[in-house]
Amino acid sequence: MIQLKDIIVKFGDFEALHNINVHVKEGEFFTFLGPSGCGKTTTLRTITGFIEPVSGTVSMKGQDITHVPIEKRNIGIVFQSYALFPTMTVHDNIAFGLKIKKLKKQEIEEKVKTIARKVDLSDEQLAKAVSQLSGGQQQRVAIARALVTEPAIICMDEPLSNLDAKLRVQLRNELKKMQKDFGITTIYVTHDQEEALTLSDRIAVFNKGYIEQIGTPNEVYNFSQTEFVANFIGDINRLESGLVQGLKLEGSKHHFIRLERVRVNRTKEEQEFQAQGVIESREYYGLYIKYYIQVAGQTIKVIEKNDGINIYEAGESVTVGIHPADVMSYPAEK
Amino acid sequence: MQASMRRSGKVDASLLYKVFGGVLFLYLFLGFMVVPCLNTLTSIFTIKDAAGNTDPFAVIRFFFAGNMPSFVMNSLKLAVTLVITVNIVGVSIVLLTEYFDIKGAKILRLGYMTTLIYSGVALVTGYQFLYDKDGMLTTWLLQIFPNMNRQWFSGYSAVLFTMTFACTSNHALFLRNAIRGIDYNTVEAARNMGAKPFKVLFKVVMPTLLPTLFSLTVMTFITGLCAMSAPTLLGYNSINPEIVRLAGSTVADEAFPQARAALLSVILAMFTMILLTILNHYEKKGHYLSVSKTKAKLVKQKIQSPVANVLAHIYAYALFIIYMTPVVMIVVFSFQNWQAIRSKTLDFSGWTLINYFGSQDYSYTTSRGKTKVRLDAISGVFANEKTLGGIRLSFVLSALAAALACVIVVVAVNYIFKHRNKKRAALVEGCLLFPWLLPTILICYSYRIFFNQKIWYVFGNNMYYAENVRFLIVMAYTVVKLPFALRMVKAAFYAIDDELEDAARNLGASQLVTFLRVKLPIVLPSVLAVFALNFNALFTEYDMSATFHSSYGTSYAMVIQSMCNEEGRDGMNMNASGRRCASTVFIMVVSGLILYLVYGVGARDLGERLERKEKRRKRWAKLTGKAAN
Repeated sequence: MIQLKDIIVKFGDFEALHNINVHVKEGEFFTFLGPSGCGKTTTLRTITGFIEPVSGTVSMKGQDITHVPIEKRNIGIVFQSYALFPTMTVHDNIAFGLKIKKLKKQEIEEKVKTIARKVDLSDEQLAKAVSQLSGGQQQRVAIARALVTEPAIICMDEPLSNLDAKLRVQLRNELKKMQKDFGITTIYVTHDQEEALTLSDRIAVFNKGYIEQIGTPNEVYNFSQTEFVANFIGDINRLESGLVQGLKLEGSKHHFIRLERVRVNRTKEEQEFQAQGVIESREYYGLYIKYYIQVAGQTIKVIEKNDGINIYEAGESVTVGIHPADVMSYPAEK
Repeated sequence: MQASMRRSGKVDASLLYKVFGGVLFLYLFLGFMVVPCLNTLTSIFTIKDAAGNTDPFAVIRFFFAGNMPSFVMNSLKLAVTLVITVNIVGVSIVLLTEYFDIKGAKILRLGYMTTLIYSGVALVTGYQFLYDKDGMLTTWLLQIFPNMNRQWFSGYSAVLFTMTFACTSNHALFLRNAIRGIDYNTVEAARNMGAKPFKVLFKVVMPTLLPTLFSLTVMTFITGLCAMSAPTLLGYNSINPEIVRLAGSTVADEAFPQARAALLSVILAMFTMILLTILNHYEKKGHYLSVSKTKAKLVKQKIQSPVANVLAHIYAYALFIIYMTPVVMIVVFSFQNWQAIRSKTLDFSGWTLINYFGSQDYSYTTSRGKTKVRLDAISGVFANEKTLGGIRLSFVLSALAAALACVIVVVAVNYIFKHRNKKRAALVEGCLLFPWLLPTILICYSYRIFFNQKIWYVFGNNMYYAENVRFLIVMAYTVVKLPFALRMVKAAFYAIDDELEDAARNLGASQLVTFLRVKLPIVLPSVLAVFALNFNALFTEYDMSATFHSSYGTSYAMVIQSMCNEEGRDGMNMNASGRRCASTVFIMVVSGLILYLVYGVGARDLGERLERKEKRRKRWAKLTGKAAN
């Protein structure tokens, strides 16, 4: 559907993207994930045409669109701020692109009403100013405006980042449902790994203008290919010398284990390494409890399901078990 | 280069626009800012002596030998004292209406803000109406103190008094905003730590107002230095009236008057430049910004001491009376006949609309005992062609200039934002701020002298000749209003989210459509506000009107002044003062209406407008429903 081949983008002397290669499949929900300044938005803006690469090609459905003007790429965008025109009504916002295309008035009305129904916007809401809508409704308007011109793909640049936590979770689910309903290829940019894991079919993890890994949420979480990905996605413990020796791991590498893979007070499994530890402190999250345990000369974090029975107090002695198969190892970064 | 720019047709068109825009901008900047002012500057050093040799320092020698330094000293004296008095009154009116709990604060605020619609020559003549030798208050005081000086309201003290109350508009607008921006939690925190109310005021509140106060102080100083209407009308020998006098003088009357006027203008410009450099330097240091994430709204402070509370109320209402009396008197006397106005006493049987509408003849007996009738000697604003002509001319020229300034600035700011962080954007901005460095009088004087000859780049015309002067006035009005318009419109452009432009382009809109349909509607309320403020200021302005005064350039201010000068002479213009009052009321209504439309109606966003529309619709449905029942 969309293919980026050997894309290099420079801002003056600064190379923002180094040889980016991505292939987004038809109907896929594809996420660019990474910290601020890693190049994910630059990549998105290269796809949408706001930035022209110094080398490499952007192609859509096999056609080179690298030098095609923004408005002719047939790509819908949902911006971080939604970029809804404040001086227009919801209706006029959605109809803007259709008016620019000089469609007939009746056709515009039909298309606006159809898309409004699909994104659950009432006729009453269409007559309102965008400032009169809630954050969630504004997001639906932004999506409707992006979809009404029937783009081949839709790009979303951190559309949930300005919302509070509760609304973010709610809209995340709506977004996923809408994408499935419309069946449209979606490229989504976020720095929020939880958002990326819950929404995406596949994720590209960016770092310093490079792509570290492309894979399904399960692949990037459980089989992180680089130390950066392992650290960036989810919470993780780095194992220090005591545990590395106990587990008989290669000393020249860096070793990590996810919090939920550390076992506390469980029966020893085959090949599992166990050591005695002491609970330093705990954080109560309701559904689960996070413990900080002093073991083998380091503090490791552990997550335990909150069953209401096995809750450990600070100072309590526990047995900590780690299976070598759960450890992710990477060559030490220079 | 962006992808969209590659299409050859678009590149050609945009290149054409850019070249045309650039050439036009350069033409206006060089032709109407740099060249005339440079001409003024060089005229100082190109004086020829009796032998025909150029004597570059003749004017400077003359300056130190003659009385010219006294004009500079007088202006400095006025500026320094004005800074003190305006800040005292300006800070007082803001604290009394926004910080302290004073009864009737809303009414007080309206009174203090009357200078927004009642300024310039109208205000000065309003004060004259009350305080000059035939003024109402003077007449009344003379009845009590027959030996007092009838001319008490003239010279330095009268100018200082008038300008003190005329120059608080900026305090009423900007200091009010600053005090409203204070986080009340900081006041509560100080009180919680044991600070007494006045300690809180001086240690917590005032320091946050200091940057705004500093800016206002510099602007007030410049206003005092460049004062024109008050010194001219109330008789004070400061720089500006002297420049205008010299500009109208010839070498037959005195030694090189033009060069002397130029020198005084340049001295004024030097002071202005120094002050603006200081201001700029200070502003770059930044303002105190509230670091609070949950800012609390300021709660008005009760003055605990009963004595202080009473004194504060007396002070507030005394100021209110000073602000309101001329306005009320002007309104009341605009409905009085000319006899009542002349005697400055209210005649309850003398109510009339003659100062507004219609005309009457006036019969009088000459010194030779003959009775003469002067036709239409008493006439209303809307019946007197001369007054109406002055108002019409001022209205049209001010509206044109205010609109032109807005158009230039909006286009320029759009360019500046598109090319921000580039040298060319800084250059355009610098050019538009250039008039700020020059006092208004220098620009006007330069125009008057330079364009009073055939100039090739205005198609070989003498622009000071006949009706051409109107074009010159519009250009001068526009040029002097550019810096203010730039600052305000630029602030409005900051509010435009970059993503809006991206969104419009993504939806297929061209740069022009994006500008017209997305960006312009967003900044329009601010642009209209700038238009209104500039229009109101220009409508009644005096400085430029006086400089360009000619039979084709007689604006409202000059019409009023000349009519009042000849009031009653040979039975002419019997009700000139009444007409002046009526025209001032008319202008106040127009200015007030414009401010209401711009700030009240225009400032509402689309959501508010739709909500109001819905409420009106419901009210109407309810009414018609009831009627049907």
